[in-house]
Amino acid sequence: MNTHDPIVGRYVYVQCEGKTYRTYYEEHGEGIPMVCLHTAGTDGRQYRHQLCDPDISLNFRVIAFDMPWHGKSIPPADFHLMEDEYKLTTKFYCEFIVAFCRALELRKPVLMGQSMGGNICLALALRYESEFSAFIALEACDYSPGWWIDALHHPHIHGGEVVATSVFGLMAPLSPDDYRWETWWYYAQGGPGIFKGDLYFYSVDSDFRDQCQKISGKVPIYFLTGEYDFACTPEMTQRTAEKVKNSECIIFGGGHFPTSEDPAKFKEVITPVLKKILGADPERRGQGSNALSGRSISETRSTARSERTSEGRKVIEF
Amino acid sequence: MSRYGSRSSFDLEWIERWARKVNDDRILPVVGRFFTSKFVLGFDDTEYLVDVRGGKIQKIAQGLTPNDMGVEFWLKAPSSAWSKFAQEIPPPMFNDIWAMAHPLHKQLIIEGNSLPFWQNLRALTRMLSLMRQV
Repeated sequence: MNTHDPIVGRYVYVQCEGKTYRTYYEEHGEGIPMVCLHTAGTDGRQYRHQLCDPDISLNFRVIAFDMPWHGKSIPPADFHLMEDEYKLTTKFYCEFIVAFCRALELRKPVLMGQSMGGNICLALALRYESEFSAFIALEACDYSPGWWIDALHHPHIHGGEVVATSVFGLMAPLSPDDYRWETWWYYAQGGPGIFKGDLYFYSVDSDFRDQCQKISGKVPIYFLTGEYDFACTPEMTQRTAEKVKNSECIIFGGGHFPTSEDPAKFKEVITPVLKKILGADPERRGQGSNALSGRSISETRSTARSERTSEGRKVIEF
Repeated sequence: MSRYGSRSSFDLEWIERWARKVNDDRILPVVGRFFTSKFVLGFDDTEYLVDVRGGKIQKIAQGLTPNDMGVEFWLKAPSSAWSKFAQEIPPPMFNDIWAMAHPLHKQLIIEGNSLPFWQNLRALTRMLSLMRQV
């Protein structure tokens, strides 16, 4: 008998800034709607484990969508006529998320995002707090410079490989190899210039250092950051959380892509957060709730070497 | 010793052991098939020339001479940083060359022409990660 994931995928047409975006999303579960935001340059597959987790789907309708230009969501029809490179802005990102939630007629969903999806939680808390019931900001902080660089979209550099490898070190060395490389693969599949364009938002258009204090605190924000995150270090998250009213900060032994690089570890750290959200919103819980491969490297290899002294230094040739 | 282990010096003998690990690797000839470059690894004030062709190291040498033409880029870091990088389980912020080079951390300096650095980042990342097996 074949095995299927319980995930269902659909397309919805989302209006934003005068354009229509055919937007792909996947969902599973019942109860409190929880919209999940992928990281820069990738797509909703980063949430495949959470979408399938029966402990989560008992009480949460988990929804992960692909932003325009990402995954199975196509760019706007006239993208080939754009007179500037793709750049995600704070304004568009906010408006699109809200428009997506409205298109699905979601009432006060929980919003969970990681990396750029975590940072946008701050902007949404400032501008659209009444639209959401809680924010879960994974690997998020109020300012994350240093990533809008030309090497990530350059005709002499393989975009997929450089993008994916540039983020590989954001993952914890002890996260499972299979999942770290699956995450690498998601990155390698992004469209040309999309990762870099998302990082325009991440590193340029989203400096919230002087705005965090203005978040009202009416909607709780849970910050969770892994210790190996070198783009948003634990200290950066902690400094941000100290400024945000009604927030919690959890630092754990992981990396920048907790949902996909180590789903078991992520489940450990997110479960208490989800319980708190459920506890604050009991009417909406679900009805069923309570509850390297290749050949052996031992083959003999050549150990040939020649050692010579040249111009006063030792040179070894293989 | 920290939870991440420890590493002592980076002399030519150590670099040679690393180069042998690189040349024994079965993946590098695949992901580094087009990685042909001369670059320099800097540990404090000590520089090692690394001459790579097709993902394999052809030559290493301590220091540069006027005859070492065509060196493309330099990766320079304090030996204390390389020491953390080369541990079996490297600590946060030292587990990756881009992590160490990122403007937030600046533990590793990339000098010269950075284009071949980025072009070969995947192979270079694997090559340098083999320091953890020395």
